[in-house]
Amino acid sequence: MSKHASAGSRKEMDRWPGDRVERYQLRALKRVLRYAHQELPFYRERFDRMGVAPDKIKTLTDFARVPMFTKKDALATQRQKKSFQAGLEKLDAPGNGVLCMTSGTLGTSFLYLSKKWAAIRGDSLARAYRWGGLRRGMRMLMAAPAWHSLAVQETRVIQRIGATCVVPWGTFLPQYAPHFLDTILDVKPAFVSIFLPMLYALLAECRRRQVSPAHAFKNVKAVLVVGAPMTPRSRVGLKKELGVTDVFEGLGNPEGLTAMECRFHAGHHIFIDCCYVEIVDPTTRLPLPAGQRGNVVITSLIPHGSLYLRYDTEDLGVVLPRQCKCGRSWPLMEVYDRRANTLRVAGQEIVPYDVRLCLEALPELVNIPFALIRSETKMDFLRLLIQKPLTGNVTELGMRINGLIRERFGFDCREDWAEELPQRWKGVTVIEEKDWRGTHV
Amino acid sequence: MHGANPMSPSKSPSHFTLRTLRALRAKAVRWPEDFAATVPLMTLEGLVSEKMKSGDVYSSRRTKRPSPKVAFQLEYDAETPLYVALDSNELRRYAETLRRCWSLFGIAKGDRVGIFDYGTSPISYLASSTFTPYLERGAADILGCLPICNDGLANLSQRAVDIVKFVRPRVLFLRTDCLQPFTHEIGRGSLALSSWVETLVVVENEGVLPRAERDAYQAKLGVPIHRMMRADAAMFLAPECPRCGFFHVWSDLYHVEAPQERPGQKSGAQPSRLVITNWFATSRPAIRYLSHVNGVLQPAGCPAAAGAPRISA
Repeated sequence: MSKHASAGSRKEMDRWPGDRVERYQLRALKRVLRYAHQELPFYRERFDRMGVAPDKIKTLTDFARVPMFTKKDALATQRQKKSFQAGLEKLDAPGNGVLCMTSGTLGTSFLYLSKKWAAIRGDSLARAYRWGGLRRGMRMLMAAPAWHSLAVQETRVIQRIGATCVVPWGTFLPQYAPHFLDTILDVKPAFVSIFLPMLYALLAECRRRQVSPAHAFKNVKAVLVVGAPMTPRSRVGLKKELGVTDVFEGLGNPEGLTAMECRFHAGHHIFIDCCYVEIVDPTTRLPLPAGQRGNVVITSLIPHGSLYLRYDTEDLGVVLPRQCKCGRSWPLMEVYDRRANTLRVAGQEIVPYDVRLCLEALPELVNIPFALIRSETKMDFLRLLIQKPLTGNVTELGMRINGLIRERFGFDCREDWAEELPQRWKGVTVIEEKDWRGTHV
Repeated sequence: MHGANPMSPSKSPSHFTLRTLRALRAKAVRWPEDFAATVPLMTLEGLVSEKMKSGDVYSSRRTKRPSPKVAFQLEYDAETPLYVALDSNELRRYAETLRRCWSLFGIAKGDRVGIFDYGTSPISYLASSTFTPYLERGAADILGCLPICNDGLANLSQRAVDIVKFVRPRVLFLRTDCLQPFTHEIGRGSLALSSWVETLVVVENEGVLPRAERDAYQAKLGVPIHRMMRADAAMFLAPECPRCGFFHVWSDLYHVEAPQERPGQKSGAQPSRLVITNWFATSRPAIRYLSHVNGVLQPAGCPAAAGAPRISA
């Protein structure tokens, strides 16, 4: 097997038995460890300081001793060096790469994505678009936030598959939904790749224009969503409302994670040729077995561009202890939310995904936008800001929501109904109470 | 070749071939007055009305050439959105245009280039082959530069400042509507922009920042600010030359006219809306597009690009 899989072997490797997957990943991990130690000062300094010798890493258990880091560490190094070059990257010759960014409350971090990186990651990702039904000659709608690594990967995917593409003007944020809807109505793409909050905004835009989503999407065969978790009922609801063959969800981040759904929707297959995923206990920092929720820690297996090695994404996720019916052996995972979006209510940790699962027991609330309001002080009950559904009495729905939340979590829920979530919080799932105070909906 | 614009709604677009374009070009070069007198204007309003009438998203701007691989919705606040579609060859030449703009601004191998604009602006999507499918080489690939794009939202000014601080691009391109918030962020942090960036270039679609405003921002920010013209419906780019202060146009790529609105008025007397013909747009041609950019044609003569037609604006 070559360092990175060829097209033929790529097809076959997703059915490798578990032990072969493990051997393959261990080899790849050793390779990136050596590369990191030789070429990347960020790791060399950390490894040397903590006495980690890449040559001594012989097993996956050994690998779990390699120090982890978070975005905060990367940002601190960047600030200290006053440069995007934090030592996590080796630049190729000029003209062979671009810089991308990740944003967040902590700050902006920069990633160098070389053309080699884009080729390896994009060729691997193309597999998922094929699972979703994208074929040569088909037209795909793509958003183009050139600062984001997904756009770089999708550029490669489209060329690799031989598809054509249309790009709506603006960016992927919900306020650009009118442009996206116009493009879908005008150019009639067969495949849509979209940020999930934008898809919800598109549905709202359809309602505003009194256009049926099924009419708008009548030429669309499949939709691939990214950027926020989708519950099984949301997916079924979206599929029905849009009238498309299927809605797939992708997980990923520029630091290395790629995990995509296949048509069985049993979870997200981790793309073992690009990344190694661990779930760790946020307190003990020790790896957790499949089935237990914890922080998602990823290692990119691509020794090009910026390399993230045992990077704690601070996302809350799980590796699922089950096999997919598709026959692919690649492990399945779920990511529920950013750990920063966790709320502690009456002693329990919950994320918006848990609440979504609960609300969707009520058909009127499937795919209805909502946000949780988080207090700085102790919370004894859940506060919910929720958009009024098209049907149903909100007083009665409120009582049923409260019943469901109490049954599932054992605490009460108080809800505020809004005709629409305020523009500034579209796509936001947790609102701080201090920001919320005084807002009228 | 006398007669109606081959792209006018009355003519079937299938009449348009590469030979037509070559003949029009020869006419524009040899008999520019005849070209201007006989080939009708293409307007934004005309494109909108043709799209609405025909239902063709490209406003009947189709030729017999194979369907292009990449289409972009354009940045116009019109009754209905407009689109351009580009094949690999058009992408290549459009990116070459951007490359020439970059070179005129002094960008060279090894430089970093920042872009504070949407990914759907040609300033961004022509910068690198990694941003646009079927673009073989973007401006950065050709020159050997490292590009970075912010989005074009004014509220991402802080991130643009981060780009400036940590990436130190030699040149930062930014949308005109992001200039004010960006300046505010720089002022808020009492930052010395000139210690990170050599030049700013402001760009907007179908408009140019007035010179007086540019000078005021230049004084506030303490770095030279150049301007650049864009007319996306005609896939037109023209940079303001740092040496002569006029906008340069490359005649192998475009033919630009500045017809006077009042008959009999001496050509070039007053700024007038520029009329642009694009010579590389072959699948969705742009022939005599009446832009919303006002300018005056100036004779060639800049040492930075001998022979290149120029525009003052």
